[in-house]
Amino acid sequence: MTAAISDDRVVSKSTRRKERGLALLFLAPSLLVFGVFVFYPLIHNAYLGFYRTPPFPGLPKTYVGLDQYKDVLTSSDFFDSLKTTVLFAVMTVPVGIALGLALAVLAHQQLRGIGIYRTFFSSTVATSVAVAAVIFGTLMNPQVGLLPWLGVNPHPPILQNPTWALPAVAVTTIWQTLGLTFILMSAGLQTVPDELLEAARVDGAGAWARFWHVTLPLLSPTIFFAVVIGTIFAFQTFGQIDLLTQGGPLNKTNVLTYFIYTELIQNSNEGKAAVLAIALFLLTLLLALAQIRFLERRVTYER
Amino acid sequence: MSVEAAGIGVGRGRRVAGKIARYALLTVLAIVVLFPIYITIVNSLLVPSAITSQPPKFFPTNPQWSSYSSAWDAGHMGEYLKNSFIVTILITVGQVVTAVLAGYAFAFLQFPFKRTLFVVFLATLMVPFEVTIVTNVTTVNDLGLFNTYWGLAVPFLATGFGAFLMRQAFLVLPQDLRDAAALDGYGHFRFLTRVAVPLARPAVAALTVFAFLAAWNQYLWPLLVTSGDSHRTVQIGLKQLRGLSIDQVNVTFAGAVIAVIPLVILLLVFQKQLVRGLTAGAVKG
Amino acid sequence: MTRGRIARRFAAMVSAALVTGASLVAAAGAPPAGAASTCPLDALKKAKGTVQITMWHSMPRANEQTLQKLTDQFNSSQSKVKVNLLNQVTYDDTFTKYKSGLSSGDLPDIVQLQDTDQAQMIDTRTVLPAAACAKADNYSFSAFLPRVLSYVSIKGTVYAMPFNTSGSVLFYNKNAFQKAGLDPTQPPTTLDEVRSDAQKLKDSGAVGGAPMGLKVDPGFFEQWLGFANQLFVNNSNGRQARATKAVFDNPTGRELFAWMSGMVKDGLAETNPDSGSSQYDNLLGIGNGNFAMAMDTSASLGTITQVLATGQYPNVSLGVGPMPGPEGKGGVHAQGGELFMVNKSSPAKQAAAWQFLKFLDTSASQVTWAIGTGYIPIVKSAAASPQMKDFWAQNPGYKVAFDQLLDGANTPATAGSVIGAYAAVKDAVRNAENSMFLQGTSPDAAVKKAASDSTAAMADYNQRVPAGAG
Repeated sequence: MTAAISDDRVVSKSTRRKERGLALLFLAPSLLVFGVFVFYPLIHNAYLGFYRTPPFPGLPKTYVGLDQYKDVLTSSDFFDSLKTTVLFAVMTVPVGIALGLALAVLAHQQLRGIGIYRTFFSSTVATSVAVAAVIFGTLMNPQVGLLPWLGVNPHPPILQNPTWALPAVAVTTIWQTLGLTFILMSAGLQTVPDELLEAARVDGAGAWARFWHVTLPLLSPTIFFAVVIGTIFAFQTFGQIDLLTQGGPLNKTNVLTYFIYTELIQNSNEGKAAVLAIALFLLTLLLALAQIRFLERRVTYER
Repeated sequence: MSVEAAGIGVGRGRRVAGKIARYALLTVLAIVVLFPIYITIVNSLLVPSAITSQPPKFFPTNPQWSSYSSAWDAGHMGEYLKNSFIVTILITVGQVVTAVLAGYAFAFLQFPFKRTLFVVFLATLMVPFEVTIVTNVTTVNDLGLFNTYWGLAVPFLATGFGAFLMRQAFLVLPQDLRDAAALDGYGHFRFLTRVAVPLARPAVAALTVFAFLAAWNQYLWPLLVTSGDSHRTVQIGLKQLRGLSIDQVNVTFAGAVIAVIPLVILLLVFQKQLVRGLTAGAVKG
Repeated sequence: MTRGRIARRFAAMVSAALVTGASLVAAAGAPPAGAASTCPLDALKKAKGTVQITMWHSMPRANEQTLQKLTDQFNSSQSKVKVNLLNQVTYDDTFTKYKSGLSSGDLPDIVQLQDTDQAQMIDTRTVLPAAACAKADNYSFSAFLPRVLSYVSIKGTVYAMPFNTSGSVLFYNKNAFQKAGLDPTQPPTTLDEVRSDAQKLKDSGAVGGAPMGLKVDPGFFEQWLGFANQLFVNNSNGRQARATKAVFDNPTGRELFAWMSGMVKDGLAETNPDSGSSQYDNLLGIGNGNFAMAMDTSASLGTITQVLATGQYPNVSLGVGPMPGPEGKGGVHAQGGELFMVNKSSPAKQAAAWQFLKFLDTSASQVTWAIGTGYIPIVKSAAASPQMKDFWAQNPGYKVAFDQLLDGANTPATAGSVIGAYAAVKDAVRNAENSMFLQGTSPDAAVKKAASDSTAAMADYNQRVPAGAG
């Protein structure tokens, strides 16, 4: 992490001790919840990966050491799923953020009634994944959908099309998260003071220059947040796949979370699902760490 | 105050044309964004056969409001909405409080292992739900919280997302502000509640909205951790509606609209918090 | 490391062989494995007050109402047992919640599961077999239709009580048939006829798209094998002993895949998935005039009738025919759901559950159920009742599913298969079919891959079931 959050203030020993105590107090509630409901299951899960598990709890399991980890993580199914997951993230995160940002900037203007537009743009947050999937699934349905009626009717139909299924799910996801990204970016834009923009304008900076040199740097903490969180969430996308394509056609939309779900719920294979879940977790963690290391450097905080 | 109005005057005509262009662009985008929701509402008011046949209908010339009462009954909406509200409010309050505290600690307090702890918080977002859901059912049961509101809420009372969001929001506040407040005798807690949170209000509002949504839209967890209608939530009712046959698909859409209305109201209420105004100038002032 | 793995595989094979051997012995004449459990009938008589039991189901609204009606009838007819129904939304969610309940203890007393989950449910070792209660209660299963009984009989034991049974039928548009010069009262019964009829429909321009809506449902393939008296998996389709490999990579299997591939390639059929938002496209296509025929479950008939009654599809005159197959001789599977009693409940509740199950399968209940939902009446006396005959006279479409259950032999091939890894096997077949349709894989190669992937999935599942499960 960068020196932007500098911890080199000169403080007395007692202040430091007090701050540490306070920090513990402030962090404790979160850590307690995480410990019981996130990390305990995670460790239990990692442990399960070492076993060939019976289809149901209560029956004995077989210890297989690292064999299962090795078998699963070197299988072609795993690599395909990994590729699909990364591809999906690449399709959704940059576009989603760019669109959300663009809409936020457009809705940030001083026009009469701009509040209504703001509500419109954030409205997609109100739709759950289930609702979005039903809507888009119907839109793309080859028998009754709007798109085929408009002429967009590839053969095979979009959601059964090995080439177009994943992009279609990506579009659904981008639409559904647009409201969130919009709200996030809007909140971030609030922190850009008018006076700064005015000063820049008076100094002769054009709209684009103002955006690039004033708005964007002040927005960078928000964008950084959106990129990191967006990637993490993209890797966790499940609902749309479950409702639109069920991992198909031909496993072209079989992202890791769906693969895990199939192994756990459908095939009752806790051990294999555990391995895949740990892999997904570590992958996301490494990626986020990389993003924090390389991107937070370029974020300007007010300190 | 319009940026054009201040400063050197441009031709009034050009200003008006520019305004129209902006409105046009905004409207087009709004239509694109809203269209799927619009279609949902339209479909909820059509006769089922009109939905499943071509050409698609864009306006319900003969609105069938009965689909809403059907959805209300078949989806047990009355009871489920109440349960959803209770659980969602529990979760939202929990998440906002824990996130504000944690975010503040990361932004303004000094303590060892800060970097590691931050990654730990972030890591909680990376754990796939299949990992936690199965174990948590057992944990909640062991805690005696099966089929209770607290049982539904307790795994979600804190989130790394919230902590991260609040950290970013608090980091935008300059250290000088904190120093000045310290000189004025503000302890951390007072600074947090009297200065930091009010200044970070857009982020708090955003977090409230997100937390509410995420909790409101849960399906599998409530299904697994409740038994019976007494504590079931609205998404379960919605999925039951989706199990309806094609000849009642309008009821499915009506259910979706019912489930969405509280969220829309929430949005409208919080829209004001996200509006620029009170907060913008204070940062520098 | 390799040696260790080989040793483990060998051990697995040996134990599988032992298990298979043991089960064959068991099936041959020794008391059936399941009936070793006893049904605590007396516990109900000894219980004080009303015994409350819970039944998990996933019947959608209209059917749920009929089920509730029957339940209310049962509850008010006596005061010893009170049944509470709980809707768990879908078959899959019900089973997921059940499996979750195995750890958390939140289990029902009766659970309704889909046909393909039979093997897994038995493997949970939490089933109180219906056969055990039948034995203790002197209850005879002979009242059931033969193939319905076969579908719930595994290794000679009836584990679950059949309840909501349906079958695959052929829906077709009589108007389109007429337009193409085909006799609307004679739907095709063999796959060859389907093809030639489709060709005529296409050539005459009676339909806008391909004449047949072909849902990519692995169940159709399995049933066609049954028609030709071919097994899907070994060990009598998993009914004599645990199934260990797929056996459909044979001339019949290849012919069937070739038929499907040919239909799609020659523009005589269009495919749609069997899950998700497009799972009803085969039927919707008939409505829209794109298709003229499609196979689907008889349980859809009620919906289809109601949709057509709205007049939105004036060009459709619905015909229902038996499911066509390789030789048209019949042999369609009994499908749908069945009811299991859970042996984790207290003895009084187990006994109570048995009473309710008996009630649901009485003649009168089955008549109410069949007329209210369109499912097949599975008890012979229900089928022979005047109400049922009346209903069928007025709604002949519903009788097709019933008739075809009686038509054809009663063999393991037509009873359907019992596979622990059923979902994975279905995936393998589905993917193989799709690779033919979407990637142009040859039928022979597709069948081969389907069989080997299925066998691998089954091996993986079976290896994880501890020895002694039988």
